[in-house]
Amino acid sequence: MWRTARAATLVAAVLSIGLGAARVFAGAAADDLVRIDSVTAVMLLLVAFVGWVVVRFSGTYLAGDPHEARYARLMLATLASVSVVVVANNLVLLIAAWTATSLALHGLLVHFGDRAVAVAVAHKKFLLARCADVCMVAGAVAFWSAFDTLRIDEIGRVALGSASLSLGGQIGTVFVAMAVVLKSAQLPFHGWLIQVMEAPTPVSALLHAGVINLGGFVLLRFAPVVDQAVPTRTLLVVVGVSTAVIASLAMTTRVSVKVALAWSTCAQMGFMLLQCGLGLWEMALLHLVAHSGYKAHAFLSAGGTVRRTQIRRLAPPVASPRVRDIAFSAGAAMLATFAVGLGWQALPGTAELSGTVWVMLGVVALALAPLAEQTGHARVTMSMAGALLVPVAYLTLHELAGRVVAHGAQTPIALLVFAAAGFVGLFVVQSACRVCPDARALRRLRPWIYSGLFLDDTFTRVAFAVTPPPAAGARPAPLAQRGSIAVMPTQRTAPDGPSAALRFDALVPSLASQLDAS
Amino acid sequence: MTITEPTVSGELLAAIANSCDRIAPTWPLDQFIAVNPYWGWRSSPIEAAAGRLGVLAGTPLTMQRSWFREEWLAGRLSPDHLTSTAVELGDASLAARALDVLRSEVAGEQPPVRRMALVTDLRDQGTGPIRGRTWTDLVVHQISQHCASHFDEWQASWAPDRSSGLFGTWRRDPSVTHGFSWARGSAWARTQLHSLPEAAPEAIAAILDDLAVERAGHEAYMTALLCSVNGWAAWCAYRRWQARLAESDDDVIVELLAIRLAWEWLLVTDLPDEGNERDATRDWAASWALVADLAEQTVEEQRIDWLLQTALERTFQDTLATGLPEASVAVTTLDVQAAFCIDVRSEVFRRAFESTTGAVQTRGFAGFFGLPIDYRPAGTALSRPQLPGLLAPTLHVTDAVSNDVAEARVGRLHDHQRWEDFRHDPSSVFSFVESMGLVYSAELLKDSLPRRRASDGRRIGLGRARRTGRPHFGLIDDDPAAAAVIGHRVLTAMGLRDGLAPLVMLCGHGSSSVNNPHAAGLDCGACGGQTGEVNVRVLADLLNARAVRCEISTLGIDIPDSTWFIAAVHDTTTDTVELFDIEPVPEGHRGNVQALVSVLRSASQRARAERATSLGVASLAGDPSALERSIVERANDWSQVRPEWGLAGNAAFVVAPRWRTRHLDLQGRAFLHDYDWRLDTDLSVLTLIMTAPMVVTNWINLQYYASTVDHHRYGSGNKVLHNVVGGHIGVFEGNGGDLRIGLPMQSLHDGTTLVHRPLRLSVFIEAPRESIDAVIAAHQVVQDLVYGQWLHLLRIDPATGAVERHTPYEWQR
Repeated sequence: MWRTARAATLVAAVLSIGLGAARVFAGAAADDLVRIDSVTAVMLLLVAFVGWVVVRFSGTYLAGDPHEARYARLMLATLASVSVVVVANNLVLLIAAWTATSLALHGLLVHFGDRAVAVAVAHKKFLLARCADVCMVAGAVAFWSAFDTLRIDEIGRVALGSASLSLGGQIGTVFVAMAVVLKSAQLPFHGWLIQVMEAPTPVSALLHAGVINLGGFVLLRFAPVVDQAVPTRTLLVVVGVSTAVIASLAMTTRVSVKVALAWSTCAQMGFMLLQCGLGLWEMALLHLVAHSGYKAHAFLSAGGTVRRTQIRRLAPPVASPRVRDIAFSAGAAMLATFAVGLGWQALPGTAELSGTVWVMLGVVALALAPLAEQTGHARVTMSMAGALLVPVAYLTLHELAGRVVAHGAQTPIALLVFAAAGFVGLFVVQSACRVCPDARALRRLRPWIYSGLFLDDTFTRVAFAVTPPPAAGARPAPLAQRGSIAVMPTQRTAPDGPSAALRFDALVPSLASQLDAS
Repeated sequence: MTITEPTVSGELLAAIANSCDRIAPTWPLDQFIAVNPYWGWRSSPIEAAAGRLGVLAGTPLTMQRSWFREEWLAGRLSPDHLTSTAVELGDASLAARALDVLRSEVAGEQPPVRRMALVTDLRDQGTGPIRGRTWTDLVVHQISQHCASHFDEWQASWAPDRSSGLFGTWRRDPSVTHGFSWARGSAWARTQLHSLPEAAPEAIAAILDDLAVERAGHEAYMTALLCSVNGWAAWCAYRRWQARLAESDDDVIVELLAIRLAWEWLLVTDLPDEGNERDATRDWAASWALVADLAEQTVEEQRIDWLLQTALERTFQDTLATGLPEASVAVTTLDVQAAFCIDVRSEVFRRAFESTTGAVQTRGFAGFFGLPIDYRPAGTALSRPQLPGLLAPTLHVTDAVSNDVAEARVGRLHDHQRWEDFRHDPSSVFSFVESMGLVYSAELLKDSLPRRRASDGRRIGLGRARRTGRPHFGLIDDDPAAAAVIGHRVLTAMGLRDGLAPLVMLCGHGSSSVNNPHAAGLDCGACGGQTGEVNVRVLADLLNARAVRCEISTLGIDIPDSTWFIAAVHDTTTDTVELFDIEPVPEGHRGNVQALVSVLRSASQRARAERATSLGVASLAGDPSALERSIVERANDWSQVRPEWGLAGNAAFVVAPRWRTRHLDLQGRAFLHDYDWRLDTDLSVLTLIMTAPMVVTNWINLQYYASTVDHHRYGSGNKVLHNVVGGHIGVFEGNGGDLRIGLPMQSLHDGTTLVHRPLRLSVFIEAPRESIDAVIAAHQVVQDLVYGQWLHLLRIDPATGAVERHTPYEWQR
């Protein structure tokens, strides 16, 4: 069974490479249902590669699991549906395939259907995904009324050709963006993604590398329309920045590796949506692809955390930096990064960098600041390598991605300012945590960040009050839990028995029926 | 209800201390040594402890009866033993009832364990905190997240406020007040928490008073509460254990108890002041007076299960005992003496090794070779113990590298750290992914393809010294006389006082697996969950040093010049043996070492062929090179959840000379410790064995046992869901819940059948009756284990090889 699955993903990978090659030689092709262009080729290759890795991993990892066969079928079904999403050129097909992805994935999320948390979380995701489906359908209707077609490439072409977007088009993009926000686990709809560690590790890898990012891909397909819809872009930027900032901070407070990774994905998806909102489509695609490989690897290798911690513990501790260390290194990183940017522009054959890209370079510079710090025994070569290698890699990849997807329309300044403020704020909080970890304000803030501002708690209470999750089922499992029964003994006083005997009030009689299934 | 001014009586303090002492510690994953989770109950007989544990924690201590039936059908449970054991217990009719259980397919199942209800159980009778979730689960989850945050040092980079301790910060944790929908509102919950005394014992006193729990039930109630958060209680117990080894103390477990108790109190006080639910809590508080009666009833109900368990173990003992009288001493000239760890995996390899040549003698000894050391790798801040968890290190070993190398390493380690921060800091994760993320696609590809060798990174930053660096024990040069005392002690305990072969191989062991949070559990438990490499290399150096040998000879052991000690490590996953420090071997010994290498190679092949079936590659057993490749790739496969079977199957500990068991195939189920009673005139060696290795083997045995019989409580669940907590503290199964301790399901079960069959350890000692009796009489811990039936003690008669069993009254054939 696993051999078949592996073969299927391998063939898919080979086919997608072939498709990519054909695309290079024959140019883009599209018909009513299917669209083959560079983006499709990149995405297909990504899906096939992640699929191959995850299927290969699962074959050994789940050996001996009672539901191995069902798991393999669902995994292939998920991958197949994702592939259809990626090639779809028709809105109906896209929505159907995206829904199918969600349903197949649902089966994987309740692989351990005997675990109440698994069932409850999958249910939460199910509710959100169906809301997203409704949004997508509404968006499709709006687009159909505005553009009179359901062909995705046609919609884009019409939008590119016209100076402004009709109301129907505007509404359509809002609905699509809402669907994407729901499906990309953005605040406050993020809880399921964080809690979904109740499924086997490769399912998490697949979800984080090949499914959750479809939202970004779908937006990318409507790039020309979204570019013209300022309200939608504002929505994406506001949700994206808020999620990126809060979720990345939450990531640094969490105590278990997989949950930290999940918060990280949540933040990365926020960042990707921000890039979509800013019209940085090429960077959004790059982010999507780079994040996939990175996160799949991070999940699949999560078991190595203990060994990595051992290595980290080898390093003698480093003193906390002072404010001026941080200010100095941030300044140095800014200078170095912008110098690289100017130098890049001066190279022959490179395009001038847009204002949006300069803002993003600022984000890169803030990221590099700690690398450039002169504390501990880290060597200068490290700072140099960081300050040069990273911006060059960034600009090179930006250039390459720009060959696949075009840069979007100009970005309203307000959005840029909002985004920049978000990341400066993030840098300030992060630096404060390093300089004065015991500050009162930070101590008070931390538990709220830890719990994601309790947004999910509230959301769950409301959602489950409306539609409660189904009960967990029984599942034959090796070494299944052996039940006990909670009792409250009382002295028996009834005349029909020996007076010293105990009587037991069984408090949880329902438990008794689930006992010892093994 | 409000809290009144608390007073903590001495009686209550004792009850708190006793309930905390019930919880056995759990070591962090990077030092994952085996622990007997019932250790805190050892002063009671196992059956009485099972009664208490059942009533307080709901845990069974024996397998379900259907499993005994399967064992009976497979011929592994002899009805004769059922009868004879029942007669011994003074209740012959029990045997008939047990047989009925075995014969009937359906009617034999025992009733579920009845456990005293907690307030969380009472509340779960009503509406849950959220639809579909129980209070029990959410309370455990909240406590678990709080503890993880408090104890975590390596996962979260934004550290929480720890200034007021585990309990103090919990009282201010908004996840208690805001994470739940309190009937009386979150402001009420905050006020309630503020009204609690700040110190844990005072808070406990005040709450117990307010709940009006029967005084006689205080200790039991608190034990039950700790058992309901058993994982974190075990972690707190570990902190206390370490503090006590360092001759200090740690009370954080009392704070955990206070938190769990405060939850109970919140859940009671949140109820309306009048009504059925509130009345029920009053009855409930009174019911704790009856806990001892309930435990007694449970013991009575479980007698049949213990009869089945004991008969099963006696049947196993027979299979081993029958072969023992056939043993004979073989006299040959020896080329090699090889000392292995007592680990059950050594038995397989030793048998293979001995079968390749008659000129080897193998011996079993604790794998840390008696060195009470810790080891600090060069240029690092970390020092790790290399000895059993029951002991504290007194001597230090580091690497013999120059200062320059060490300093360069610090630089590289800080570089590495810098890059890791770049990868994980909130303001750089985005840029990291965009500029460097694609590199991980290559990593994905690399890790998915078969590999012969994966770098474990532990020698990071050593540069070229990676190969030349070796552990260095300063004492050898600084104070040969002191080193000689250690050497003399170790040689005496190993029984290697004379007749040394030209080559003495000191063989530690380690495992190889990747991407495995529980990897250290497969390494040498006697070396604190590390490989034995440091210990054997240091000991070989010590015993080869000329100055030390001179000093040892003044103490009465002559090590001839013709003898050389060589360090080796047995990789239990791949069954290869690596020899260390071959370069400095003197010319005259080179030939012997060469010969040893080739003998070891064929021994490895035999051992792998024997293990092929259990690893699911039986078809390759006939092709040594294909089998080796397959097993090596398995060891380096990041998706492999069963790299090897560890100590699964362990059931016996044989303390006797090797010739007693050399002709037997013990199937990797026996720990083997060499012991020659004739050399042990003052019983010092037997005392050492019965108070140290026997306790360690009991810990290992009952860890496997408990992980199997109640996997949910004492096992760590399914590896495919494991989620490492705090970088090394332990794992969650899935998203959260309690910290999971013990062994993963995949270490015990192959998906279709149970690989570890839970049997209590049968200890066979070859020694005179009086010797064994004397050691038992002198040591409380041995008495507890033996009289409490936490293990079986059997004696091999030195003259005949016949086996007799220790009972509380006499030795019995």
